[in-house]
Amino acid sequence: MGHARHFVRLFGLVAIVVIAFLGARAQVVPKDFGTQGPFRASAIPEAAKREPRHLGSEACSDCHAKINDAWAKGKHHTPQCENCHGPGLLHVKVMSEDSVDAYPDQIKKNPKALRVTSGIQECEWCHLKTFERPSTLKSIKNVERHIIETGGKYTAASKCTDCHNPHTTVVK
Amino acid sequence: MTQPLSDGDLTRRSFLERVATTGAQTFIFGGLFVTTALMRLPQDATPGTTPAKRKKRAPEVIYGFVVDTTKCIGCGSCVRACKAENNVPDGFCRTWVEEYTFYPNGEVVVNSPKGGENGFPDDAPDRNQPAEIGQLPSRGFFVPKLCNHCIDTPCIQVCPVGASYKTPEGVVLVDPQRCVGCGYCVQACPFGSRFLNPETNTADKCTWCYHRITKGLKPACVECCPAEARIFGNVNDPNSEISRILATNRVQVLKSYLGTNPRTRYIGLDSDVI
Amino acid sequence: MHHYITEGYVLPNQAHIYWTTMIVLYPYITGIVAGAFIISSLYHVFGKEELKPVSRFAMLMALAFLLFATLPLLTHLGHPERALNIMFTPNLTSAMAGFGFIYTTYLFILAVEIWLLYRTDIVYLSTNAKSAPMRTLYWMLALGVMDVSEKAKALDRRVMLVLAAIGIPAACGLHGYVGFLFGAIKANPWWASPLMPVIFLLSAIVSGIAMVLVCYVGVQWRKKRPVDAACTQSLMEYAWYFLIVDVALEMLELINHAYMANHDWVILKELLSTRLFVSMFVFQVLIGSVIPFFLLGAAIVFKDRIAASTRQTIGFVSGLFLLVQVLAMRWNVVMGGQMFSKSFRGFLDFHVDFLGREGLLAAGALFALPFVALYVFSRILPLWGSIATFPTGWLKADAGPPSPSTH
Repeated sequence: MGHARHFVRLFGLVAIVVIAFLGARAQVVPKDFGTQGPFRASAIPEAAKREPRHLGSEACSDCHAKINDAWAKGKHHTPQCENCHGPGLLHVKVMSEDSVDAYPDQIKKNPKALRVTSGIQECEWCHLKTFERPSTLKSIKNVERHIIETGGKYTAASKCTDCHNPHTTVVK
Repeated sequence: MTQPLSDGDLTRRSFLERVATTGAQTFIFGGLFVTTALMRLPQDATPGTTPAKRKKRAPEVIYGFVVDTTKCIGCGSCVRACKAENNVPDGFCRTWVEEYTFYPNGEVVVNSPKGGENGFPDDAPDRNQPAEIGQLPSRGFFVPKLCNHCIDTPCIQVCPVGASYKTPEGVVLVDPQRCVGCGYCVQACPFGSRFLNPETNTADKCTWCYHRITKGLKPACVECCPAEARIFGNVNDPNSEISRILATNRVQVLKSYLGTNPRTRYIGLDSDVI
Repeated sequence: MHHYITEGYVLPNQAHIYWTTMIVLYPYITGIVAGAFIISSLYHVFGKEELKPVSRFAMLMALAFLLFATLPLLTHLGHPERALNIMFTPNLTSAMAGFGFIYTTYLFILAVEIWLLYRTDIVYLSTNAKSAPMRTLYWMLALGVMDVSEKAKALDRRVMLVLAAIGIPAACGLHGYVGFLFGAIKANPWWASPLMPVIFLLSAIVSGIAMVLVCYVGVQWRKKRPVDAACTQSLMEYAWYFLIVDVALEMLELINHAYMANHDWVILKELLSTRLFVSMFVFQVLIGSVIPFFLLGAAIVFKDRIAASTRQTIGFVSGLFLLVQVLAMRWNVVMGGQMFSKSFRGFLDFHVDFLGREGLLAAGALFALPFVALYVFSRILPLWGSIATFPTGWLKADAGPPSPSTH
């Protein structure tokens, strides 16, 4: 058998490893990998599949037509419902009667599955006066001073929504 | 084993010798050759990345994003919407808002507390507040940031396993099923748009809400922006709002010197915005 | 995942350092591989006879470190179970995708080289080793082929020469590639540099030589065996040459940064004068470069005036300093590049944990593994020589150490 028998065996060993690697590769790599480029093609539809959580203000009007109407006609129609109330998907699911049972934990935690509004923080996001904020935007430097200056009585529990209708900005 | 060699043995031996001595060489240089040859393959399937391809067939939809920094009021609605829409873990952002404050002495202070998730309180804790500098700011503005969905993406380029890719519409995505979580793309992104998600242990980033835009909706941040500072749409449709804005405005991109060709473009950028 | 102390404006997603101790350790380990292999090749390919005493040991050391080079990478991956994706679906535009193939090729070359180097010993031990399980192990290592005729050995030598010759560019490739991983990241001004692969390669060679030198002198002292003066002197000379070129390039890169003073110099300057100051200028430059430069230089220039034993001590100490140099260099590159934000307006502090997946303990344990492997190797193969130097207790009672003439 000559003097290279150990090399023959070595190459045999290497061949086994290479074949095992190629075999494993054929098993493990998804069939659609590389069909549209160096990635798994079905990752694209998978990424597109997820359910949108923000439904848009129109979806809210299905049930909340009156508020929605006032909001749409008023000065405060640029922020959407979900800006303050949070995404509506779970809310819609929880509030539709047949799926109440599907979210027992959610119901216990937050019955309406919406962001809990404070009536003051949501307003400050936009209307707190800071140097960088465009001056065209109505803003106040300090809630307490604003209430006192406008003739109100400030308490620790005071909220912007005590006086302002958040949906229309109209002073009550 | 030491018996005299026959002629057959002799020829076989010399053959095997050659195999043994040249096999390794062939293995390596062949491998190198194939690798370099394959390196020249285009890195993504998106038509329109090379002039030659652009001529052949223009895709129907190529998404674009415009951020009008002159309109941003720094409310952080986009950040909150993004976090809620995409389950972004605490301490990370797919989009964020930066607050730039300039002082007469040339000092620039940039801030983005929690990415702007809770807005920008006037009393943001900051060592460089006016009291310390001793002067009032001269100007200021907000700059929303998100993934630039670059045409020549450094992040897809470096992904070793093909887990980062570009959709035909030009959106840069991560395949969470293939990502090994090496973090190389996080290092390669010049904009800090990527992070390793501690819940999935894979790379994560802004998807332009791919699950929304493919259903005809706007990305959550665009949907929730009360100031119309974010404009999203199909740049291949001449009648789209984004096409109109791109046709009538001077736009800039972030870190243009790196040549990544971002698809997110900015109106009203300042040279101090990096 | 940590929240690090930040200063200035750090981009929200960069309040974390993603690559830590393990990624410092990875180029350090592969660097030692490349350096040790090159020392071995200096004897096997270039016929530097004075390096014969360490030629086999250096080769086994390269293998021991190479075997564990992937481990730090695995421990830091988010999904280590998917690690083989890098070979199953390599993305050809990624520098990192080359890792699997470059590593495998190099491991193959190294393993075959060692196999051929020790084949005579393996074959001999497959019949003469003390215990039956060991004889089976040697039989398996010999792949069941007992041919150690002069013709077979001549063929082995030819293949070894070719492999060693290929091994040198492969070793350079492996480590140049590690430098390229960092040097080709344009997003990071502290990394992006065409010099990075060269610097990584040179420091790799320095660390490999230093590790061989330290281990050789250390083991000989411990075993109370004579240290080969010509061998250590030669190792010290090579270490000195490579150190000089390496440090010159490292400093040139730094000076280039400072002199060009691009937009990024503002942040790099701040980085170098604060968070990197100690690890850069104290550890990498002063302790790691300046001190061993003078120590080795003295031992080389005043070779005739300094006693051989003193020179060996100098070599041992300098080797330790050089190992610190290269570790500090890896640290400064890997961590330095992540201690400032890509906002170019803020910094992060990094504190190494003791425990944890990427803590000091894990890193130390990982770095100890190659030495464990070397110990295991030393139980199977004679580290320092061939068949004539089998330690007592290796062979069957009826088979004493073979006389040197049998090989």
